[in-house]
Amino acid sequence: MEKILIANRGEIAVRVIRACRDMGIATAAVYSECDRSALHVRFAGEAWPVGPSAPRESYLRIDAIIDAAKKAGADAVHPGYGFLAENEDFATACRDAGLTFIGPSPEAIALMGSKTAARQAAIKAGVPVVPGTEEPLSDRASDAEVQKVAERVGYPLMLKAVAGGGGKGMRMVASPADLASALRAARSEAQSAFGDGAVYLERRIMSPRHIEVQLLGDHHGTVLPFVERECSIQRRHQKVVEESPSLAVPPELRRRMTSAAASVAKAVGYTNAGTIEFLLDERGSFYFLEMNTRLQVEHPITEMVTGVDLVQWQIRIARGERLDLDPEALLTPKAHAIECRIYAEDPDNGFLPSPGRIQGLRVPQGPGVRDDSGAYEGGEVPIFYDPLISKLITWGDTREHAMQRMRRALAEYQVRGIRTTIPFFQWLLADGDFKAARFDTGFIDRKLGKDPAGGGEKQRAPLQSIDSTHEDLAAIAAAVHLFTKPMTNGVAAPAASPWRDAGRTEALR
Amino acid sequence: MIFEVAIGDKIRTVGIVRKGGTLHVDLDGRTHIVDARRINDSVVSMLVQLDGARAPSRSVDAAFATQQTAGDFDVHLDGLTIPVQIRPAGSFGRQKKDGPAAHAVGPQRIIAPMPGKVVRVLVKSGDDVKARQGLVVVEAMKMENELRAARDGRVRDVAVAEGQSVDAGAVLLVVE
Repeated sequence: MEKILIANRGEIAVRVIRACRDMGIATAAVYSECDRSALHVRFAGEAWPVGPSAPRESYLRIDAIIDAAKKAGADAVHPGYGFLAENEDFATACRDAGLTFIGPSPEAIALMGSKTAARQAAIKAGVPVVPGTEEPLSDRASDAEVQKVAERVGYPLMLKAVAGGGGKGMRMVASPADLASALRAARSEAQSAFGDGAVYLERRIMSPRHIEVQLLGDHHGTVLPFVERECSIQRRHQKVVEESPSLAVPPELRRRMTSAAASVAKAVGYTNAGTIEFLLDERGSFYFLEMNTRLQVEHPITEMVTGVDLVQWQIRIARGERLDLDPEALLTPKAHAIECRIYAEDPDNGFLPSPGRIQGLRVPQGPGVRDDSGAYEGGEVPIFYDPLISKLITWGDTREHAMQRMRRALAEYQVRGIRTTIPFFQWLLADGDFKAARFDTGFIDRKLGKDPAGGGEKQRAPLQSIDSTHEDLAAIAAAVHLFTKPMTNGVAAPAASPWRDAGRTEALR
Repeated sequence: MIFEVAIGDKIRTVGIVRKGGTLHVDLDGRTHIVDARRINDSVVSMLVQLDGARAPSRSVDAAFATQQTAGDFDVHLDGLTIPVQIRPAGSFGRQKKDGPAAHAVGPQRIIAPMPGKVVRVLVKSGDDVKARQGLVVVEAMKMENELRAARDGRVRDVAVAEGQSVDAGAVLLVVE
């Protein structure tokens, strides 16, 4: 494998380029019109245009990406996450074009990509699943027909997209009265996100935690599970904070969950990186939820607690190498790690997307800190894609140590010119229940005072509380800024020269 | 030089003069001595002498981001982001009285909060709507956002159609 084309953008494309560089493999990026100056293009060895900015016309165009890979002379394709990462047609097209797809087989993607088929695979492997419908509901099923099926599953229930992922096309339904509108919303969102409006029903597990198990499988029959990730901190069903290990998973439960995950993957002959998601209820029972047949956004926390470079292993597995990792070591965390997903969203304005130009950027550094980012000073956050701009990861000997480092890193982090979710994480890390790891998947929506009727967030105090001393300092700073800004006739002068400043200070004495 | 600085709903008066190598900043009648060094066009390092301190020693690294209106900044310091409006003295006063309360009556203009695409229009002109009822669904950055009525009323003008792209600030419909 000498050159890899990265069929993605943003932070994950940068992450994959770094893994390639670490292995001495050449890289080719692809980019849409608005991404010409994006970090992944600037980082890559070469870059090829694949179309206009809308994802459907560029990053989701299988033909354009295969064409770019051929022009670049790449011998393999890494899909990242999102876009075409879980698209069996893309994996097939790579195979047909003689390109190694760095991920599972198209057959495994197809099987586990159907949430209902995946449930059946789990049942066959002897792993418990959440009670619900075994078959997708027909697109044409009337509200009344769905109502009948829903009565059998029981309320409250979850409507989920068969092709789903990332919380899209998913709705909680508390009572029969809400079913019709939730069905309409879930189908439409699923249709626009995945091109498939099919949905199915699942019983809602009360106060569950979302625990997932990372796996690697090679082409020689070995499947190895990793220590679990705790992903219960979600907003609108999207993970925002992840940590590893989970405080809710004692070693004995870890053994059972990780071996259940491995047996599902083995049952379908799974290869490369994948993740089995479970719900864990208050009594310590766990249920298979779904399998993600790709690298996860939150993979770095697993890397930080096990010391394994997952992207590098994806590439090595795709090259046919054997997984020669020590299975016990993968289940024994060497540290505690936390990840915060920094989004270009305004947490004090209903988390509305906040695209635009990053006027200034100060990235946290120092011990126990990692920033996986696609942002840079002067760069734009476009409106067309997921507003994730970076993932901030910290680790330490204990959970408390990792959290203290996260607080420090968040205070160092400055993203100027657009709003980000940094203040939200500062608020979360000061919360007593979060500190004590007392939470479930409904935690954030409850804490933010989300309207239980399913609407937006209620009016509340800003997440970021600013005391009067800091307001005073901000007022002083703003006045000093304007007073000292080098201006000539209203036009900003070139950057101040320390020599000239020194001369001026002398003259004023 | 004298400025007025609005933060939240409070307006501070800030006077500033250079004396020797330092700045004397008068904030609502109290004087703070500031040793300021410009790091670049948008970052200033300040050592501030707060009340009772023996020397300018409180280190404040302040960074600024401009907003669309001249004189509106985000000030980043101590891990906080503080929106600030700064104007020459006397500029505020009249305008601040028109608070958000002024908008609590009268027609509600439902505005696109960001550029996006209208996926669904859930009401038509003349419909009676209840508070919190969904009116229009706009997709932006891959998420569908349902815009709702703030209170009971009747839909007057529907300015958009399904499938239409809209800019931030575009009026989508009006509820009376």
